[in-house]
Parts: sequence; C-alpha cells; structure tokens
Amino acid sequence: MELFLQTLLNGLLQSGIYALVASGLALAVGVVGIVNFAHGEFLMIGAFLAWALSAYLGVDPLISLPFAALAVFGVGALTYRVSIRHVLLAPELNQMLLTFGLGILLQNLALIWLGGNTRTVTTPYQGSSLSIGELSVGGPKAIAFGLAVLILGALYGVLYRTTLGRQMRAVAQNRRGSQLIGIDVERVYLIAFGVSCGLAAIAGVLVAVLLFASPTVGLVFALKAFAIIVMAGLGNLTGVLWASVVLGVSEALVQTYVPGGGGWSDAVFFLLIFATLVFRSFRGAR
Amino acid sequence: MTAVGVQPSAVGRGDVVLRADGLSKRFGGLLAVQNVSFSQYDGEILAVIGPNGAGKTTLLNLLSGVYRPSSGRLHLLGRDVTQEPMEARCHAGLGRAFQIVRPFPEMTVHENVTVGALFGTRGTTLGQARERAYDLLERTGLAAHADKEAHELTLLQDKRLEVARALATQPRVLLLDEVMAGLRPGEAQEAVGLVRSVRDSGVSVLFIEHIMPVVRDLADRVVVMDQGQVLAEGTYHEVTANPQVVAAYLGTEEGLHA
Amino acid sequence: MSRAMDGGRAVVRRPDVPLRALLPLGLFFLLALVFPFLPLGERSEYLLQIAFFTLVAGVLALSWDILARSGQVSLAHAAFYGLGAYGFALLGKVMPWFLAMPAAALIAGLISLILGAVTMRLSGMYFAIATLAFTEVVRTIIQNLPEATAGGANGLLVPALLGGNARAQYFLAFGILLFTALVSLAIRRSRLHHAFAAIRQGEETARVLGVSVVKYKLLAFFISSFLAALGGVLYAGKTFFINPLETFSLANSIAPLTTSIFGGLYTTLGPILGATVLRVAEEILHNSIKNGYLVVYGLVLMLSILWLPRGLMGLLRRGKHGGDV
Ligand SMILES: Nc1ncnc2c1ncn2[C@@H]1O[C@H](COP(=O)(O)OP(=O)(O)OP(=O)(O)O)[C@@H](O)[C@H]1O
Ligand SMILES: [Mg+2]
Repeated sequence: MELFLQTLLNGLLQSGIYALVASGLALAVGVVGIVNFAHGEFLMIGAFLAWALSAYLGVDPLISLPFAALAVFGVGALTYRVSIRHVLLAPELNQMLLTFGLGILLQNLALIWLGGNTRTVTTPYQGSSLSIGELSVGGPKAIAFGLAVLILGALYGVLYRTTLGRQMRAVAQNRRGSQLIGIDVERVYLIAFGVSCGLAAIAGVLVAVLLFASPTVGLVFALKAFAIIVMAGLGNLTGVLWASVVLGVSEALVQTYVPGGGGWSDAVFFLLIFATLVFRSFRGAR
Repeated sequence: MTAVGVQPSAVGRGDVVLRADGLSKRFGGLLAVQNVSFSQYDGEILAVIGPNGAGKTTLLNLLSGVYRPSSGRLHLLGRDVTQEPMEARCHAGLGRAFQIVRPFPEMTVHENVTVGALFGTRGTTLGQARERAYDLLERTGLAAHADKEAHELTLLQDKRLEVARALATQPRVLLLDEVMAGLRPGEAQEAVGLVRSVRDSGVSVLFIEHIMPVVRDLADRVVVMDQGQVLAEGTYHEVTANPQVVAAYLGTEEGLHA
Repeated sequence: MSRAMDGGRAVVRRPDVPLRALLPLGLFFLLALVFPFLPLGERSEYLLQIAFFTLVAGVLALSWDILARSGQVSLAHAAFYGLGAYGFALLGKVMPWFLAMPAAALIAGLISLILGAVTMRLSGMYFAIATLAFTEVVRTIIQNLPEATAGGANGLLVPALLGGNARAQYFLAFGILLFTALVSLAIRRSRLHHAFAAIRQGEETARVLGVSVVKYKLLAFFISSFLAALGGVLYAGKTFFINPLETFSLANSIAPLTTSIFGGLYTTLGPILGATVLRVAEEILHNSIKNGYLVVYGLVLMLSILWLPRGLMGLLRRGKHGGDV
C-alpha cells in the first residue's frame, strides 16, 4: 500500500514538468495553429542555459529560471518572425517539415558546440528530501513540482483573466472572427509562440536540475508532450493537465510494477504513443 | 432495366435505383438528418430543396458514404450499401459532385477527370480513361482548358469540372450539390441542358438546388427538407403550393421564388 | 512541340514521361556507370566508397519519395532500412546473398503492411509521430532479441557482400538504384501514379471517385519499404558490422526526407539529384563538422521549405509544370 502511494506521488510529481512542456506545445498548436516539432529543442536551450549560468557564474538554477524563460521567449519570437510566419498559410506538411528542420538544426548545433556529453547541475538542495508521513520526496523534485504548479497557475490565470489571454483564446477558437473584431492576430501569434517556447525553457531548467542537460534531452519530453496533447484533444488546454497526470502516474506504475523494465521501458512508452494515436484515429472515424 | 427515355409521366413506374429508409445523422446534440426516407426511380430527375442548413448536404454525405448514418438503411440498385465504404458505392454506380468544389489542385483538368474515369469503373485501362476524360471535357465545355492545372480555373469552371469528374465514373445515379449556384441565367440554361442529356443517356439524377426556376424546369419530382426532416414531396407545383413549405421558406434569405 | 500548339486530343495521347525529360536521368546513370573506370588517382578507393554510399542514399530517398507520393510522409524509413540490414545479416548466414537480399526486402515489405494498415487513418503530424514511434519500437525489439542471434545492443557481424570486392559492390548498388528508378518510372506511367496523386491531394474525394485507398496506400508502403530494405542490405553488406542505434537512427529517416524535398518531391530525378549533392557536401564538410553533420540536413530542410518549394527540380524546370519525371 505504501509502495503504491509512493508510486502515485512520484508519478504526480513527474507530471508537473510534463504539463509545462505540453501546455507550451498546446499553446502553439491551439493558438498559432503550428505543430512545433522543435518544441523539445527549446527545452534543451533552457536546460543548457541553466547549466551554463550555474557552471560559469555560479547562479542557482532557480534564480536563472526567469532569465532563461525570458531569453527563450525572445528566441521563440524571433523564430516566429523569420520562419514560422511565412508558412502560416502553407500546407500543414510544410509547417511540420519546417519546424522539424528547425529541431534538427538546433539539436545538432548544440551537439557541435557543446558535444554530446550530459551536463549536470549541482545545487545545495540536491540531496535533501522531504517526508510526508511514511512517504518521502526528493527536495529538487518537490521544488520542481511546486514551481510547475505555480507557473501553470499563472499561465491559466493569464489565459482566463487578462485581455491578452482572452484574445489568445479567441484566436484559438476562430481566427477569422478575431481579426474582424479588431484583434491584432499577428501580435497574438508572436506572443503565443514566444510564451510556448518560454514554457519549454522553464521545463528545461527544471530538467537540468532533476536530470541533466544534453543536446537530445528535449526529444523524449517533446514526444511525451505530443502524446499528452493528442490524449487531451488538439488545442484543449485544460485537458492537458489531466492527460499529464495520467501519463506521469501510469509511467510511475509501469516502472514500479513491471518487472525487467530496463531495455523495454522505452518501447512501452513508444507503444503507448502509437496506440493512443491509432486508437483516436479509429474512434474519430465516421 | 428500361433506362433510356423515361418521361416524367412514367415516374413511379420505373425501377427504384436508390432507396433511403429512415436515414438519420447526429452531430453531437444536433440531428442534422432525421428519419429521412425516399425513393428515386430509374431515369428520374429528383430535386432536393430546403432552406440553408436544412441538412441537404449531410443527406448527400450519407448517400455517398462520406458519413455512416446513425440509423437507417440505404439501398442502391437493389443492394444494401449502408455499411459499404465510399469507393464501393462509387463502383456500384453512384457518382457525386461536391457543393464546395474539390479539384485535385496539382493535377491538370484532364488528369482530374482521368482519375474519375480510371477508378470509377472496374476494368478501365489508362488509355480508355484518358479518352473518356477528354470526351467529357468536350461535353462540359472544358476541352480548351484540358492542360491547365486545376487551381487555375475560375469557380464556374471548377463546378463544371466537378460534374465532369463525377460523370467520368459512369454512374447510374448522379448526385449534384448546388452545381448551378452562381451561374448567370444563360449559363444555368446550358447546365440544365447538360443535366437533361445526362438523364437521357440513362443516368438518374438527384440534385440539390436553391435556384427555383431551375428546379421547376428540371425536376420530375421534388423533396423538400427542413430542419433535417422531409417536409413535403411531390411535383414542383404540388410542393410550392404546400403551405408548410411556404412557411419553412418564409423569412429565409433566398425566399421560395428567388 | 510546344504546349500551346498541341491542342485538342493530343492531350490524350501525350506520353506521361516525355523522352526529353528522361535525358538528365539517363545522363546520371551513364556517369554513374563509367565512374569506376575514370582515372581517379590514389584516392580512388575512397571516392568509390563515397560513390557507393551516394547510390545507397539515392535508393533510400527515392523509395521514401514513392511513399510520400501517396500522401504518407513517413519517419519510419529507418525502420525498413534497418530491417533490411538485419534481415540480410541474419538470413545471409543460412542462404546465399542473392537469395538473402530479396528475402530480407520481402520481410521488410510485409512488416510495412502491418504499419500501413494500422496508420491507415492517420495523416499529417499524427502519421509522422506514429511512424517515428514505430521505428523506436522496432529498434527496441531488435535490441532485445537474444544476443546470440541478433547481437543485442552491441551489434552484429554481417557477411561481406560479394567477398568485399569494392567495385562489384558498387555495381550492385548501381543496379539497385537503377531498379528503384525503373520502378519509380513505371509507377509514373501507370494507374498507381493517378491513385497516389489523388489520395495525396484529397483522400476523401479520391474515395468518392472510386479509388481503393486502402489498397493503394498499402501498395505504396510495400514498394517503398521493399526498396528501402534493399538499401539497408547494401549498407549492411558494405560495412559488415551493424548495431541497432546506428542502423535505426532517426538520421536514416531524416536524410531521405530532406533529400527528396531538397531534390524535388514526387519525381524520379529529384531525390537522386538531391542525394548526390547532399552526400558529396557531407563528405566535404565532414572534416570540419564531425559530430552533428545533421545540422546541414536541418538547415537544408528549412531553407527548402521556405525558398525552394519544388526543390532542385523546380530550379531546373522553372515555369513549367506537369510531366515531371
Ligand atoms: N461535420 C459536421 N459537424 C457538425 N455539424 C454539421 C456538420 N456538417 C453539417 N453540420 C450541421 O448540420 C446542419 C445541416 O447542414 P447541411 O450542410 O447538411 O445543410 P444544407 O442543407 O446543405 O445547407 P446549404 O443550403 O447551406 O448548403 C447544419 O446546421 C450544419 O451546421
Ligand atoms: Mg449544402
């Protein structure tokens, strides 16, 4: 029973980061209408920023977090201006391939520049842990989860309480109509895409603390985010939260209870993505 | 079967080529088509009319297999095709032109029609398909544009392409969805002639149309739909005299005698 | 004969693949045929190896393009390339190479039918991600097969093709690329071309017009994967050592995709041309970019999408349309 609760808790904590990555992706898909295959690479940039600031300037990742978010927001906005904007009306295939190319480009630039090694960040709270009754939680994990909840709260607050947020949701619902009622759609796109990338970067900083930074660290998270937004239904922002918890908890359950996970655990995850997609396609069939 | 030369007066005596029994289609909370039943006879030109949003296009989607009905059955040439996919219905003799034109944008006009000719009827060779496609382009007045890419056409030409491509599949029953919308009177008259000649070649035609003079000139029989249901059925004069039909059209943009 | 002049029924009889358009393709194969006989100097062995892998890249790209013609933009090409390589490595132990080669390709082709059937209703990014996931599943399965047979994560020795004779291997690769090109041209001239193009440009409309979408999509998968697996056989037989991580690497899916888009989608010459340019560029850049040469593919992909929508073929045939080869 205790093991079970501990497993649930681990899964829940893990889902915080998933939700961050996935809501960023959902924002790009829902508002801008772009499936960003380079989403994981923006996470990677965030992770490396956290590592670099910590390794060279001794800045704690928690302090560098807002700077990383802001910097990657800028990178995202720039990316939007020089590339994404030009394919908004192009066939979906072109949009997909463009961001796919961008992902490959960023990942391999990092590989050339920084090498393929994983870089870890050391923090004073690394070894700490928190206990709740019989259960115990690693300090960094708890902090990461707390931050994720905080930031997601802020995101949803902005989306549902501010003019900009309302505009974003209006654009997501009806592009044409939004333009007609005087929303500067172009600006909304730019901001939404930037925020989407910034959210990925925040997740990246947390990933650097919990795991490591490496050129390919983003790919797995991006794929999980895809699985989540597909489970939630494309562009459904609230569904993302639930789907993240489902994925986090079911992963934890598999890790705890399926023997000999080892070499097969990756395959299980990919099989899950595969099954989700196929299942949805058949259910959605007329 | 006696296909050719069935006169309007013969309606009801020919064989049934298409029979819908209680077709319904639900989109979430909306019953777009509700318990629709009708029969189409061999060689007949049947019009389906009704205000915007009445469910006419949805009905056509059920007939051609784009949607599966939530309930009800459909028989084509005596065969139950309710569960059959679109391509099987096409092979069984059902052709369709879409209301919102859907040319294959990167193909030439001739290639567009060739696709219909090649796959619409089993056992057609590529050479035969090309020939037949060209014949149809001549018949629909598109021959001069054969070599253009489909995206270069005007909307009007696109509509003709829709019809040519559907005819290329050599249907026994042809479904037309507002192919005359936007045509000038002279052009509409031409299109009426085309539909008549199609019928005279042995094809039964079911068409959706808002332009009432065209319905009057062309239809042997009219089915009126409103809010997903069949409101009335009969000759043009019978249905336009029906007070329920008049009421359904009152206040709608197009009016009954547009 | 100019387009404007041949009005009327000439449209009906015009060949799908005009001879004039076949010329550059013929020229390529002629050059490739005489390449080993050129006085290449001391570096001939090295150059022949580059040329060999250029031909393999051409097979991979063109086979990917054939699948893409039916609207299925796949990230599973590495899976079938890898299945070809592994199939050959395992079958090559029990039968002669000329049987092991088609057998491996056939197995890959049959497995592709499973993937094709399951992803039948997916499109766009769903299809791409599903095929990507499929590749990872296949890789993990191969990696976890008993080590004694499949070598596990460490990899596997492969019987050298044609006794390791570099020139003979080159001509085998030449033959397979030629075969792939002929298959591609045959498709271009057949009803398959019309079915693939219709499905790609409007799947539902194609079905209403009687195109048996299931049949043609699966056929595209089979042909494409069969050919990709032949490429994998060449790779395995040349390097005579393969491991799952490299063989099933995402790079092997990215390369054919980028190559075809850069060269010119839905053509026979385009992917071959793209493979030649990118492969040679890769060799030139390899000294300055060791790890991460894929950066070039990423950049080329982005630039092609933004500025070269019809690829190199678009540059060659500026202003013309239809009849692409
Ligand atoms: N795929 C769909 N999902 C949800 N609702 C739909 C769908 N297709 C049609 N509807 C709804 O079903 C109703 C009937 O639509 P339909 O297109 O069949 O009308 P119609 O009679 O063809 O109208 P028009 O004369 O304007 O072409 C409308 O309210 C429409 O909004
Ligand atoms: Mg309609």
